[in-house]
Amino acid sequence: MLMAAIGLIRFTDLYSRMHATTKATSFGLLLLIIGVSLFFNVGMVWLKAFMIIVFIYLTAPLAAHAIAKSNRKKDQ
Amino acid sequence: MELPFYNLILILTSTMLLIAFALAFARIVKGPTPRDRIVALDLIASITMGFILVYSVVINKAMYFDIVIVISLISFIGTVAMSTYLKQK
Repeated sequence: MLMAAIGLIRFTDLYSRMHATTKATSFGLLLLIIGVSLFFNVGMVWLKAFMIIVFIYLTAPLAAHAIAKSNRKKDQ
Repeated sequence: MELPFYNLILILTSTMLLIAFALAFARIVKGPTPRDRIVALDLIASITMGFILVYSVVINKAMYFDIVIVISLISFIGTVAMSTYLKQK
């Protein structure tokens, strides 16, 4: 997620900024959630971690798509 | 549970999350268009989720996963609502 923030501050265009944030953030949260689940190592925590990961990987592309669509509507 | 570099790992993760938070906040202050600010707010919600995960390891309570679920839901709804509003304007 530090890489995502560096990309957010360094890139010049809106599309390249979204390219930096929306993928690196999903992968960073995936690694953090797997690490915390390994730390606790209880069944309920693994179930919740699986739910969070599935939800993040479903919704992050949808949010990015909504933002890009609104920007494209503005350009036309 | 005793790991060899336990405190060092926690301090390093918190520092990286704090730097990412500062950079995203700078993009919110500076950003030319409202869409940049929406992208930065989405990133800040994810960084908050990371902070809560690290904090649940620090105080050793697994209950904090529910907060992460709720924050991800609210972040998604807020991002879609703001972009829909900007699209119709």
